[in-house]
Formats: sequence, C-alpha cells, structure tokens
Amino acid sequence: MASSSSSSALFAKAPSRTADLEETWAFLTHGVDHIMTRLDTGMDFPSYTNLYTTVYNYCTSTKMHGRTDSNRTGANLVGADLYIKLQEYFLEHFKPMKEKTSSLQDEDLLRYYAAEWDRYTTGANFLNRLFTYLNRYWVKRERDEGKKNVYQVYTLALAQWKQHFFIPIQKEDAKLAGALLRLIERQRNGEIIDQGLVKKVIFSFVSLGLDNSDLNKECLDVYKEHFETPFIEATEKYYKKESETFLASNTVSEYLKKAEDRLREEEDRIERYLHTKTRKELISKCEHVLIRDHSELMWESFQKLLDFDQDEDLQRMYALLSRIPEGLEPLRKRFESHVKQAGLSSISKLVGEGGNVEGIDPKVYVDALLEVHKKNSETVARSFKSEAGFAASLDKACREFVNRNAATGSSSTKSPELIAKHADMLLRKNNKMAEEEDLEGALNRVMVLFKYLEDKDVFQTFYTTKLSKRLIHGVSASDESEASMISKLKEACGFEYTNKLQRMFTDMSLSKDLTDNFKERMSQNHDDMDITFSVMVLGTNFWPLNPPTHEFVIPAEILTTYDRFQKYYQTKHSGRKLTWLWNYSKNELRTNYLNQKYILMTSSYQMAVLVLYNKNDTMSLEEIFAATAISKDILTQVLALLVKAKILVNEEPEQYDLNPGFKSKKIRVNLNLPIKAEVKQESNEVLKAVDEDRKYAIQATIVRIMKARKTMKNQALIQEVISQISHRFAPKIPDIKKAIETLLEKEYIERVEGSKDTFAYVA
Amino acid sequence: MKNVGESDQPIPLPNVSSSVLKKVLEYCEHHRGEPLPAPDADTSQDDTRKRTTDISEWDQKFITVDQEMLFEIILAANYLDIKSLLDVGCKTVANMIKGKTPEEIRKLFNIVNDFTPEEEVRLLALPHSYHQLILSFWHHQAQIKKENEWAEDR
Repeated sequence: MASSSSSSALFAKAPSRTADLEETWAFLTHGVDHIMTRLDTGMDFPSYTNLYTTVYNYCTSTKMHGRTDSNRTGANLVGADLYIKLQEYFLEHFKPMKEKTSSLQDEDLLRYYAAEWDRYTTGANFLNRLFTYLNRYWVKRERDEGKKNVYQVYTLALAQWKQHFFIPIQKEDAKLAGALLRLIERQRNGEIIDQGLVKKVIFSFVSLGLDNSDLNKECLDVYKEHFETPFIEATEKYYKKESETFLASNTVSEYLKKAEDRLREEEDRIERYLHTKTRKELISKCEHVLIRDHSELMWESFQKLLDFDQDEDLQRMYALLSRIPEGLEPLRKRFESHVKQAGLSSISKLVGEGGNVEGIDPKVYVDALLEVHKKNSETVARSFKSEAGFAASLDKACREFVNRNAATGSSSTKSPELIAKHADMLLRKNNKMAEEEDLEGALNRVMVLFKYLEDKDVFQTFYTTKLSKRLIHGVSASDESEASMISKLKEACGFEYTNKLQRMFTDMSLSKDLTDNFKERMSQNHDDMDITFSVMVLGTNFWPLNPPTHEFVIPAEILTTYDRFQKYYQTKHSGRKLTWLWNYSKNELRTNYLNQKYILMTSSYQMAVLVLYNKNDTMSLEEIFAATAISKDILTQVLALLVKAKILVNEEPEQYDLNPGFKSKKIRVNLNLPIKAEVKQESNEVLKAVDEDRKYAIQATIVRIMKARKTMKNQALIQEVISQISHRFAPKIPDIKKAIETLLEKEYIERVEGSKDTFAYVA
Repeated sequence: MKNVGESDQPIPLPNVSSSVLKKVLEYCEHHRGEPLPAPDADTSQDDTRKRTTDISEWDQKFITVDQEMLFEIILAANYLDIKSLLDVGCKTVANMIKGKTPEEIRKLFNIVNDFTPEEEVRLLALPHSYHQLILSFWHHQAQIKKENEWAEDR
C-alpha cells in the first residue's frame, strides 16, 4: 500500500470516469483504508473529493462492467460491485484485530475493544459520507425492493463488526461480557474501576442491535443477549451469596443498612453505565434477592426494633419492605398487636397488682392512654411515612385497648365514663391540670380518645350529667371552652349527638332572663323581698336530673318567694308543670347568733334543718324529721355533715344542739359537700339511663330500617342494626332480639305468615 | 479531524464546469437559510416533491435555460447532492415531456430509439419514478456524448 504521513493530496490521481471496477476499487481501497486506519493523520479536501467523485462516477457509469441484470431495463443502478468490495474489505480489516483479541483478557481486552470501536465507528461514519451516492441510489433501491440485508454503508460496517468481530470474540466463553461482569463485580467489591470504559463497551452492544424492519428503531437484541441477561444472572448470584454471608455474622439492623446501600448503588449503576431499560429488571431482581428472600427474617425482627424504638431501622425496614408486594402486611399486623399490647400493659401497670379499679384517677388514666397513642402515632408518621395501612393498624389497636383494658374489666362503660370525667375536670373552673392556653389542646386530646370509643352514648350520658352539674353550680371554666368542646363532638358525631347539650345552654340563658324579669316584677309589686332569689328552669327532656324521691316541707322562710315565683311562672307559661329540684338547690345563710358574722353556704336540706334553729336551740332527730320530711337516711347524713363542721353539736344520741361557740377562719363557710350515697348513686343512674336510651335507640333503628325495607329476614335485620348503630355504641345481639320482641308486641312489625324468621313492617 | 472541513483549501470539483457551478451557486445563494428537506423525504408521503407543477416563480425563471445547461445543472445537482435543485431540474424536464408522444420526445431531446419494441413496452409498464428515469436517461446521453467527444479528440 502506498501510504505516507504526508497529508497533501494523498489521492490526487483519480481514475478516469470510465474506469472499470478493478481500477476504481484499486483507487478507492487506499482511501477506505486510510480513513479506517489512519484518519488521525488527516485527509485533505482534494483527496476526499476525488474519492467521492470516483464513487459517483462509477455509480453513474452505464457500463455494466460485465454484470448485467436481465430483469432491469432502462434505469439500471450500479453499485453492487462496490458494495461487495466494501464487505470484503471489512472482512480483511478484522483479521489482525481478531488475532490481537485472542491474546487479551479482561480489562486489557475491554480497553482494546473500546479503542478499536471508537476508531472503527469514526471511520465508518466518514465512509458513509464518502459512499453517499451508493447509499442514495443503489442501497435505497435494493432496500425498496425488499432486500433487507443490504444496508447503508455505516450500518453495513456495524453489521460486519457484529458478525465478524464481536460474535467471534463472544464465542470464546463470552469473553467480552465476562470481562464486563468481572469488572462490575470488582466494583461491587469496593474497587475503583474505569466506568467510562464499561459504559463505552456496553453501549457498543446497544449500537450493534439492528432491527431489520426499521433501522432507525433502537434494537436491544444484542445488548440483552450478550450483556443484560448474563448481568442479571450474575447480580442475582452475587447478592444471594452476599446477603446470606452477611446475615450469618451481622444483625438485621446492619443488614437493612447494607441492603439499602446496595439498592442505591444499583440505581446509580444504571445511571452510570447501563441502558435505562435494564432498570426494571435489575431493580426487581435485587429487590427479590435482597428483600423478598429475607423478608421472613425482617418480619421476625420487627418486634425487637419496635421494643427498642429503633426509629431509623424501622424507617429502613419500612422503606425496603414497601418495595415488594405483600411486604408490609405482616408488619402492619405485628404493629397492631404491639400497640395493643403497649396500651394494655400501660393500663395494667396503672391499676397495679391490687386491681384497684375504683380508685383510678381519670386524668392518670387518660394520660396513660394518650401516651401510648402519641408515641405510636409518632412512629407511624416518622417511620412508616403515615402510610394508610399502618394508620389503620394504629386505630384498630387503639380502639381495642381504649375500650377494653385492665381498668375496664368486662365493662364497656368504664372507659367512656373515665374519659368523660376527665373532660369534666378539664372544663371546671380552677382546674389545675391544664393551663389556660392549653385547655384547647387538652380537649383535642380527649377527642383523640373519644374517636376510639365504641360506646359513645355512654360518654354522651356521662358528659351530659357532668355538664349539667357544671352549669347548675356555675363551675364551668368558660362558655367558649364548653362551646368548643360541643362543636368538636358535633363534628365527630353529628347534630343529634350534641342537640341536648346545646339545649342545656339555651335553658341557662333563658333562666337568667327569667330571673331578672321576675326580680324586676317583684320589686315593682312588693317591698318585702328580703331574700335574694335566682332560678333555673330546665327542660326535663334535656337535663339528666331527677327530682327528690321524698317529701320536703318547704321552710316558711322561703315559702313566700316560692309561691310568688310559681304564680309568676304560671301566668307566663300556663300549663307548664314546675318540679322543684330541692336536691340540687343551694342557699346562703347569714348568722346573727355569733359574735362574728358568718355566711354559711348550704344545700336546701341543710338550710331547712338550720332554719329550725331560729326558734330552737336543741332538737331531736324525730323533731327535725317531722319538720322537714327529709328521708331519714339522707337526713342523718345532712346532720352528720353539720356536726362535723361544728355548727351543730351531737352530744346525746339523736339529739342535735346549736353550737353557740362556732368558730371558723373563713367568713364564708362551705357546708355544701356531696353526700357519699349520691356519688355512687350517680354512676349507677347514668348507666341505667344509658341502658334505657339504648333500648329506644335500637327500637327506633329497627323501625327506621323496616319502614324503608318493608320486609326483612331476622339475620339481615340484626346485621343492619349493628352496622347503623355501631357509630354510637356496640349493640349486643340479645338486646336487639329483645327489641324485636318488644316491637312485635307493640305491633310495629309482624311475622310474615308461613315464615319463621321474616318480619314485615306494619304501616 | 485534521484537514477536514477547513475552508482555505481549494476544493476540486472535477465533474462540474465553472459556468454550471456559477448557476448552482446562484441557486444556493438564493435558497440559503431554507430548511433542508428531510433525508427520507421521498419515502414519506411528501407530495410536493412529486407534484411537477409545484415550482416557485424564482426557480422557474432560474431554470429557464437552454437544454444543454438544464442537463448540466441536473447532473451537477445530483453530483453535489442538492436535492431541491435536482427536483426543480427534473420537474422541469418532466413538464417538457408531459403530454408528448414518444416520437415527439425523441425529437425534442434528439434521441435515437435504441429500444426494441418489446423493451419499450416493458419499460413503460415499470413503476419507476420519473426522476430515476430521467437521470438514467441523462447519464446514458452524457456517456454517448463524452465518448463521441473523446473519439473526436483522438
């Protein structure tokens, strides 16, 4: 070959226009070889144009050059010879390269291959331009006629490379792919490798893919067969082995870190030197080997992480297991039972070994429940990214331990009672538990627990009772806080739930107006009003208050006022019946019999007893009973309190004397303390009321359902009742059956004839 | 790449005479900056390339030259791979042929009928694009002409 390093007009002497194939190719082959092997020494324009013109001239010559295709007439296109010559040239071109590669291994092989690839593809690009004329007419025509194995010169170069260079190397134990995989394995082992080299070789595989039906389409056949498939296999093997060895000598926490790092590394690997289409398969394979194959072990260690609050590890475990299907479900279940256990043991600790359920302080109880909820809901937010499934597990567990724990025993009403009592204490004046600004927060926390309560009606009843007490005794912290709590309950349970509560507030403000109007009227008509009087008129249906069960002789001192108000009220609202709740009334008495004037704050019963001593200094139990008609068991307690406060002296049995030497540090003496019997009675009454309400609620629900459905089977009816009513409380099936019986008796519904378990609505 | 793409070196164009190159440059100057046709424009459904009447006013004026020049311009455009100019040239020739009998065409271009009647029939039946036909024909003519010239030179 006549070649020199000189760059001026290397190929100045072009063959004539009519040159034959031999002469033409003799000239072209020098040029082609120069471009393919010595392009770095450059090529000048005259040489390039000469080569181009030679191709053009040959392709446009009409001489058949010894080859005629009898099928083609007129528009003959010349080029097949050149094309074949090119093909032959490439074949020769690979020979020394193949020899070279047979002596190379691993990284050396890759380096050589990559360098050759660069040189070859650059050259082929130039050839493609040099042979433009061949591409434009002959190749195009061949392809148009369906010869799909004829390519443009650049593509031909790639096809030749693949068939005569790439495939033969790969035939030797997949030498190229093997070298790549070993290099990648070294990187996985922590060594630094030449990633640019890996990328270049891998992407040459991508370029070698040819889709014969559409050459412009990317075709990954070669890449997949010669790299991706073995790569995925190698990855699986590598991580299978690594994860097993690692777990044999490390904790699961360590492994979580490792797996996380490995997955991130593989993501990076795709960015750095793999085709993006490999992502899905690579990552899912890694997830399988690194996570799924060890998921059992992760599930097992979950409890330990929870027990020791290993937040970061929990986060990691969540993130890893969320990548595989069904990976989280066992965690959710375990988390649920963990939370439940935490709640139960917290309350058990509170109750103590003695099982002192009665003495449990509502605040301590509520705080204990809230603590468990707070801690675990933080875990859900922080470690489980507030994932819905874990939130549901938390709710389920909380619902369980809030309603049933060591403090409640088998009673479903204890928890609502304690929580309602706690709310009461929060809303009382002078409560020391919650700071002023934190009251709202404390109420919100009550609502957290409220949402978990099953028997919301029990809470409602207790809350109503407590609210009535707060209002009657004027000990509510503030109207705003009360209103805020009611609106929270309304939001959670609807208008019906808080209707009564709101009516109570209405009654309160109406009563205030009524008292003012009454006072004004009295001051107009009478001037002998020597007592201050205020009254609350409360609707029987809305207030959980019971009238006294015994007679009561109204003391003469207040009788006038009593009568005047009765009359006044009747003229205003004729037909309404006033029941006087003496057991809830209170009075203030001024003492005149002592040196120091005291104000005694008393209940009406105490007042009734004390006013007797305006006329007597000593009285027997019988006399007092006769004068007041207060039942004896209450009366003895009333007297006992007065004796204890040293207003009265009880030196002889059943004889009570006024203590003339009474002394107190305070001017205002509060004698109005709750009587024990009342306290206990209160809870029982509330529960009785709840039971009663439930009966009606169930009956009303049944009637509502039957009215809509007309006929229904027993079982379906019971199911429907449960589903409709369970947002208020958890109904018991015997109660529902009893309600059905009652409605059958009252003929709201009837049995369908000829059927045992079908009911029909009676219009 | 060294020495490739530098513009201070003269580029020899052995297949184009200076008078034709001037014409070609005039065309190129006028159309400078226009988008190049897509490389596969003739395989796509690009009808404008096939519609023979679709020649702009300027191009029409430009291509109104004697037959000799028209023929040289077409060859140069093909050699230099200037698709749009090749189209203009070929469309012009197609318009000249349109509606004429083979005999009239032969007369127009001064062609000796060297086809056998059988070949002629087969040729007309083939679905070649007009511009492959014309090119092939021109190259054929050019070959004969050049061979004659050389024969005369000797």
